[in-house]
Amino acid sequence: MDTLIGAAKPSHSAVSATSADLLRTEDLRVVFPTATGQARTVLRGIDLSVKPGEVLGLVGESGAGKTTLARSILGVPPAPGRIAGGRVIFEGRNILALSEKQLRLLRGRRLAMVVPNPRGELNPTVKIGDQIATMARVHLGLDRKAARDRAFEMLKAVQIPDPERRMNAYPHELSGGMAQRAVIAIALICDPAFVISDDATSGLDVTVQAQILDLMRKLTAEHGSAMLFITRDVGITAHFCDRVAVLYDGEIVEAASRNALFLSPAHPYTLLLLAAFSHNPALRLGWSVTAAAAAPAASDACIYADRCPLAQPICRAEKPPMAELAPGHVVRCHFPVRH
Amino acid sequence: MLTVEHLRKQFPIAGSRKVVSAINDVSFSIAPGETLGLVGESGSGKTTVGRIVVGLIEPTSGAVRFNLAGDAQGKARPPNGKVQLVFQEPAESLDPRMKIGSTIAEPLQALAVERTEWRRRVRDAMGLVRLNPALLDAYPAELSAGQQQRVGVARAMITEPELVVLDEPTSALDPTARAEIIDLLKRIQIERNTAYLFISHDLSTIRFISHRVAVMYLGMIVEQGDAAALFSRPQHPYSSGLLSSVLLPHPNLVMESPVSLKGEIPSPIDLPTGCFLASRCPFVIDRCRGEMPPAETVGPGHSVHCFRHNEVAATTPASKTFEAYVAEAERTLMRPARQPARFIPQP
Amino acid sequence: MRIARYLLHRLAFVLPQLLGIVLVSFFLVKSIPGDPAVLMLGPTATPDAIAGLRTQMGLDQPFYVQFILYVNHLLHGDLGTSWQTTRPVLDDLIQRFPATLELVTFSLILAIAVGMGLGVVSALNPKGWVGKLTDIYGLSAGALPDFWFALVLIFVFYTLAHWAPAPLGRLDIEVIAPAQVTGFMTIDTLLAGDMQAFRSAVSHLILPVLTLGLINAGPIMKMTQSSVEKMLASDAGGYEVLCGIPQNLVARHALRNALPSIVTIISVLYGYLIGGAVLVEIVFSWGGAGQYAVQGVLNSDIYPVLGFVLFSAIFSLIVYILVDLIYVLVDPRISH
Repeated sequence: MDTLIGAAKPSHSAVSATSADLLRTEDLRVVFPTATGQARTVLRGIDLSVKPGEVLGLVGESGAGKTTLARSILGVPPAPGRIAGGRVIFEGRNILALSEKQLRLLRGRRLAMVVPNPRGELNPTVKIGDQIATMARVHLGLDRKAARDRAFEMLKAVQIPDPERRMNAYPHELSGGMAQRAVIAIALICDPAFVISDDATSGLDVTVQAQILDLMRKLTAEHGSAMLFITRDVGITAHFCDRVAVLYDGEIVEAASRNALFLSPAHPYTLLLLAAFSHNPALRLGWSVTAAAAAPAASDACIYADRCPLAQPICRAEKPPMAELAPGHVVRCHFPVRH
Repeated sequence: MLTVEHLRKQFPIAGSRKVVSAINDVSFSIAPGETLGLVGESGSGKTTVGRIVVGLIEPTSGAVRFNLAGDAQGKARPPNGKVQLVFQEPAESLDPRMKIGSTIAEPLQALAVERTEWRRRVRDAMGLVRLNPALLDAYPAELSAGQQQRVGVARAMITEPELVVLDEPTSALDPTARAEIIDLLKRIQIERNTAYLFISHDLSTIRFISHRVAVMYLGMIVEQGDAAALFSRPQHPYSSGLLSSVLLPHPNLVMESPVSLKGEIPSPIDLPTGCFLASRCPFVIDRCRGEMPPAETVGPGHSVHCFRHNEVAATTPASKTFEAYVAEAERTLMRPARQPARFIPQP
Repeated sequence: MRIARYLLHRLAFVLPQLLGIVLVSFFLVKSIPGDPAVLMLGPTATPDAIAGLRTQMGLDQPFYVQFILYVNHLLHGDLGTSWQTTRPVLDDLIQRFPATLELVTFSLILAIAVGMGLGVVSALNPKGWVGKLTDIYGLSAGALPDFWFALVLIFVFYTLAHWAPAPLGRLDIEVIAPAQVTGFMTIDTLLAGDMQAFRSAVSHLILPVLTLGLINAGPIMKMTQSSVEKMLASDAGGYEVLCGIPQNLVARHALRNALPSIVTIISVLYGYLIGGAVLVEIVFSWGGAGQYAVQGVLNSDIYPVLGFVLFSAIFSLIVYILVDLIYVLVDPRISH
């Protein structure tokens, strides 16, 4: 059994929290109001922790709440979402209790975000060089000239071809890969302690994706930044992350070191997700249910009970706790698979 | 069944005398019941090839020939309904105001099918893609992305085509929905002996669905051959580089390759003279910049456009990574025969 | 370079566009019932005299001949003569058009300041009191007739408070008008160095400018609010927030990206107000071009009407070309 990288000591909290955590979410809950007046719960109490320099992968399918989690950590859940409870502890302070002004000083400075579809996220009417330099002016207090110099250094660091010209280019003049590099430059120019990458490579071609991943790994390692790497591509996390957490319908169902997660996955949903990549129908069908169970689940049932082939009556009656299966390997299941 | 020879397509650029050379001399063929995987990055021209095959775009030059069942001579245009297309974005390819049943029945309009037959054909098609018949009167917005793509497949299959062009049919889907569609397509192929032109940038999907693979780069097929052979020992530096960027969901299985591709695909407006990959290729020699390497046959049905394919093959270790992954997946992901024991955490 | 080529391209189309406008308005004006010969000669005129005048005016010619004659005169700088003022239309318009333009321009400047200011503030705090205020303001500005609002202002500030001068023209009666240079009374008085006349001109402008400015700030405010809100909610706006960019900078970027739609509505208002300010002109006896054209329509005096249409069309075309240039300057994506 593989142990958790860098943290062999068992810990008290759900997803292995220790006092050395750089960032930790505790029971983070986000709800979306709906037209009927009833709030829809999008995040159901997320406990995550990331140590300095660590890369935590977060995999999940669309609708699982990945982007909501990423943005809620920065205190801005996507509209019309609302943080309904929990804490986000970053460098010892609860981010969610900070004033908007204090938060602003953290965002982009200590906590940076790499976004997908960068050509839509960059300001279309501001030159790339100015957008990068703005970060240095706003957060580092550099003057115009110094900020531009630093932006230029950053463009070189993200290996954008022909950086002199790209300084004065507008977002629509860049390819997807170049725009992604520019967004990485924006994220890293202030030397943040923590970087959230939200599906940052999803729109890219495979060869460009490989380059971007290499670049992100190299730069975050140089800066000593920790990272939350959110993706739906399980394959990336197997090679890129130290630990991996699986998100299903607003809940972390399993988290472990990448070796433990990929070599001895325990939660039935993790197994289904991995089987979907195996191109072996027999494996996938083994982890799917053909017909939904007739009995309605109790309100505190396991959220996966209806889709779970291993579900037993207790799964519909009682929500399983997040429990440590092996050191550093936690799973929220009454009947986890043991290898 | 389908033969494509020396296909070229150039798009004029508005307000300029230059042209976009989307396809530069593409030839391939597909046999009945076979899947040809067409793989390449965006801008490689793979979508344009698919559109030309189904007749949505006229090629600038070259020939597309169909030799369908009971037709020895071949035609440049297939009879109605014998060649179909499935689009990438299921949500965008379905009319949001049209019910699912009508959407699936749409291709029947072009065929001489009795209207009384339609309902039965639609139900058959829905059964084929395992769509609940209760969804007949649903609108696309009520369906999940995976179900929407099943509608797209049902619409293509209702005319019982002999060839289906699948243009990135799974890239907009989540992993589990993607796997369902792939399994569905494989099952339909076995049941109906349908041939597929499967266009994708996702190499591992291509690997598992294709019998043969054609690797496209900048409007050219740089390497073409049997899927297993090409994936275990690519001979073109670009194929090798593409393979090395595949990230299998297993931490210890890495695709090994001497090629890591730098930079991005060049503009198809000003095509380089010589080999198109020369600017990104670690195997480049002077000759590559001066002339285009011709197609060389390197094995049965395996051809490659590279002067140095021998060196590429020699430095690329014959890789059984995909096979190793399949075995590993079977070992770790097989559902246990017995229900696991209840887990009660120690306090 | 690209911009110069674009300008040439646009200017090449100006003449055909103007010709089309003249043709359509000529046809429309001609189809208004009423015979100018009858109106000019009065109720006692004999049929012979009327026929004679009709021949003299060319009214007995076929429509297309009349049109060609009119265009021919236009090309020689002759816009015809108004039988009401008995002066060449060109001279009348050179005097009156700037009066309208001055009124409309200052009103629009006020409308832009009020509308964009309130629009941006309310977009930033849609739930704040400014946001609520702007909602009410937007509704009332759209619902109030401008001439009624003008009358209220006159009643309050002239009749009751005596703060504003009498709503009779552009200057006090005892003030001698300066020589016409630009036609803008404020500028011409300054050029003449006559501070008393300048103060008089400004004080006469205040109420009509308040009327048109406050009423027309409504649409500008609505457009600013909705497009800035859209930009703030866009991916780019959200991303800047995630990057910790200060709110005033985010707002500035949002306003800049919203500018094309705001400029569009301003340009439409500008062109519209040249004729649309006519009721306010009448209330303040402004003597502007709109008033002049309406008199022409009512009295079958077609040349003032056609002249006004032509002036307004040229003005609108200039405004639209300027707007296109602003688009190019604001948004790098449409440089081609």
